Amino acid sequence: MNAPEAFPTVLPARHVTRPRSPLPADFVARLRERFGERCSTAAAVCEHHGRDESPFAAVAPDAVVFAQDNDDVVSLVQLCAGHRVPLIPYGVGSSLEGHLLAVAGGVSLDLSRMNRVLAVHAEDLTATVQAGVTRKQLNAELKGSGLFFPIDPGADATLGGMAATRASGTNAVRYGTMRENVLSLTVVTAAGRIVRTARRAKKSSAGYDLTRVFVGSEGTLGVITEVTVRLYPQPEAIAAAVCNFQTVEDAVRTTIATIQLGVPVARCELLDATGVRAVNAYSKLALRETPLLLFEFHGSEHGVREQADLVQQVAREHGGMDFHWATQPEDRSRLWQARHNAYFATLQLKPGSRAVSTDVCVPISQLAECIAQTRADLAAASFPWTIIGHVGDGNFHVQMLVDPARPAELEEAEQFNHRLVQRAIALDGTCTGEHGVGIHKIDFLLEEHGADALDLMARIKRAFDPLDIMNPGKVLRLE
Amino acid sequence: MNQAASAQLLAQRIPLDGSGPVDAAQQRRVVERLAAVLPADCLLYRAEDTRPFECDGLTMYRQLPMVVALPENEAQLVQVLRACRQMNVPIVPRGAGTGLAGSALPHAAGVLLSTAKMNRIVALDAHARTARVQPGVRNAAISEAAARHGLFYAPDPSSQIACSIGGNVAENSGGVHCLKYGLTVHNVLRVRVVTIDGDALELGSEAPDAPGLDLLTLMIGSEGMLAVATEVTVRLLPKPELARVIMASFDDVEQAGNAVAAVIAEGIIPAGMEMMDRAATAAVEPFVHAGYDLQAATILLVESDGAPAVVAEEIAAIEAVLTRAGATRLTVSQSEAERLRFWAGRKAAFPAVGRISPDYYCMDGTIPRRQLGRVLRAIAQMEQQYELRCANVFHAGDGNLHPLIMFDANDPDSARRAEDFGFAILALCVEVGGTITGEHGVGVEKIHQMCLQFDRATLDAFDGVKRAFDPPALLNPGKVLPSKSRCAEFGRVHVHGGALRFAELPRF
Repeated sequence: MNAPEAFPTVLPARHVTRPRSPLPADFVARLRERFGERCSTAAAVCEHHGRDESPFAAVAPDAVVFAQDNDDVVSLVQLCAGHRVPLIPYGVGSSLEGHLLAVAGGVSLDLSRMNRVLAVHAEDLTATVQAGVTRKQLNAELKGSGLFFPIDPGADATLGGMAATRASGTNAVRYGTMRENVLSLTVVTAAGRIVRTARRAKKSSAGYDLTRVFVGSEGTLGVITEVTVRLYPQPEAIAAAVCNFQTVEDAVRTTIATIQLGVPVARCELLDATGVRAVNAYSKLALRETPLLLFEFHGSEHGVREQADLVQQVAREHGGMDFHWATQPEDRSRLWQARHNAYFATLQLKPGSRAVSTDVCVPISQLAECIAQTRADLAAASFPWTIIGHVGDGNFHVQMLVDPARPAELEEAEQFNHRLVQRAIALDGTCTGEHGVGIHKIDFLLEEHGADALDLMARIKRAFDPLDIMNPGKVLRLE
Repeated sequence: MNQAASAQLLAQRIPLDGSGPVDAAQQRRVVERLAAVLPADCLLYRAEDTRPFECDGLTMYRQLPMVVALPENEAQLVQVLRACRQMNVPIVPRGAGTGLAGSALPHAAGVLLSTAKMNRIVALDAHARTARVQPGVRNAAISEAAARHGLFYAPDPSSQIACSIGGNVAENSGGVHCLKYGLTVHNVLRVRVVTIDGDALELGSEAPDAPGLDLLTLMIGSEGMLAVATEVTVRLLPKPELARVIMASFDDVEQAGNAVAAVIAEGIIPAGMEMMDRAATAAVEPFVHAGYDLQAATILLVESDGAPAVVAEEIAAIEAVLTRAGATRLTVSQSEAERLRFWAGRKAAFPAVGRISPDYYCMDGTIPRRQLGRVLRAIAQMEQQYELRCANVFHAGDGNLHPLIMFDANDPDSARRAEDFGFAILALCVEVGGTITGEHGVGVEKIHQMCLQFDRATLDAFDGVKRAFDPPALLNPGKVLPSKSRCAEFGRVHVHGGALRFAELPRF
């Protein structure tokens, strides 16, 4: 889910900030000497780099360095290690859980100038890019090659940031998350050494899987500077369809049956009736305002028809109506743009409100149970809410619209979220399907993984970053 | 099978850790301690009882374990680990013992921990399409149990009738069909493990993602060096309605290599894409009668599976690409029996080569697909240079080569040339951007080549992971990760082209 830029940031991050001291004068002098104009301590620049799209108020770093190449990153890491100054890698700032807040001060490392596509290997279906390349930029450069990079979290995030947060999005149900699609990373370790985690060979059983240790590590182990990702052939045929249902339960049951049948749907998204109403109003669409599923099918002409027929049949068995097709590319992109804007559309349901958004994800077999319990729990809520989600993955978001002037509403929403997380974990799911941990979900990790597993994660963190300078205060609480 | 004779030559130059005679007094102490936590029939220590465990599939390395422990359940396994931790005794976990890299080679002063008795399928959920199994369950047994629900477990190493899922997790096993369906890492949702401290942890979840550091993928492929798996939850897939395979003939090996890259670049991911050269087909055909084209320099086997209409479409598309790429003959399987016959030849390739050469040395290098043509041409030149024949059999779609270098272990010069030949192939794999092992793992066999593939910064990162999981370094010591001194020694043995690798390392 993508939050718009104008999101009001009201939650104070004070409770997570740590004692911070000003940067040592000789450190700043060394920064200026090494990076010149690419180093800034201007308040506005620092402020901009101290926030993401979470509801947390900004906590600015003390300086921002704009890296141009691996050497810049190595120099900066070495300087920071020498002076024990925290370092926070920064892509475009579209994360949602406070990943970028400088809770212990230090330097924000802006990688957006490292934005070259280094190589596209069409025969191997891989591309290697610098960490600051955004997903839309990569797809623009792939135009004409017949290939594309599918992972689509909504925001036009950088590939480095997407790898660091193990991002996914609407088509993860078919193509997987960044976990499945990152083949290799170049990282600068906390000791300032360059490590390439894997080579371009499709598989390797040599040594531990360092690639996936760094994928999802949220900048806490090292700095990702280059990413090699899997590419996919543009499907020969694409079709999108809307299917309306009487109830959310029917839509969810259709989703479960579709996944259990093994139909390789490319996207399968749920909007509840309130969500559809919000999207219609915001994106000037005329969708029937009942719960609905948005499907997309990829494949050969035959394959797409076969998949769609099968899903239509399954939907009918669960009370679904006839598919409403969007076959023209323009119609399709209007539909998906509307889906991506659903967050903002929902905000308009209650002017002046802000949203508390949840991100639980459960095994597909538990999805109906989880959503039913969640809806029952929400029945008495004092604020409007919607359920929208990547249901094909078992991942859904409850968006609760609270009045920032009324702390009681915020409290009610946070308590609801906590109950939802406990429910998801009890159903063998997770507190976060795609947004990551940041500073917001650190305590949920204990409930989800247990103390022994967290202890192991902490030992890995210390092994890679003994000085705790890499994005300190995020993901794990180090005692 | 004598495939690792040359590796042994190298091992003689640089001795392995943990080899030698068993210390009887220490053995008595450990047996006494373990007898308190294991039933008598789960504890072996007499040489005649431990002999069957002296090696895995890499038979040239042999070492009697001090003790073999065969716990029947997780509680016993926890007790064994705690006891070993207290007594500071190394532990070597073992599955079915089919590994090809010596990962389960015993330690002379250690306990060999076999999970063979933990072989129950705990739960099979056809709706969620998952199976929860104990580590000693055979790979093929999962698919057999899932078959009545129309499901199967996709990774299919050639040893699948014998190898265990715990071993698959330790080695991140692949197989013929992993091109489309992925390796073990893509098909395992969760692993329950016991750490060296005796703590049980659940890594991963049945939801597609879990927050925090990804401990599950670290565990998969860790060759028994991080923790011991006690339960594995795997993903099951619906069995495809139909599968058909194309046999394509090529006059030229490089052309066939390029054809493989062309199929993938066309956007087709076949269920399997395997290549065999004439040396391999000639060895197989009299043995299996698979119906291979013996005139062809190389054949490709390309499989399509799925719904019948999709298969028909994909087979036609693949045929078109292969024809454009220079295939001289195409045969499509007309029945399930014919399809299985085509594959039988491929799966019997190793034993077939074993029939025509006294010994062979199987390599496992993996390269980016587009380098296939170049590497195959170089291997052909190496056959002249080292005066040894080499049969090429491999998972072409993945770029995973299994060159089988044929030699005679009784002739030291032949064995030495085989070793150099193998080394040259792996060096070339690394040079073109590949890796020294695609699916067999490192174990003891390729521990030296780790120095070739990875620089010190990466090896230090591996060491960091190892220390985080296993601070006392008791789990499978001496495997996979080369020490600084070992890399230095190796550099001395293999001064390549006059250049000293890792010149910055202190030499001991």
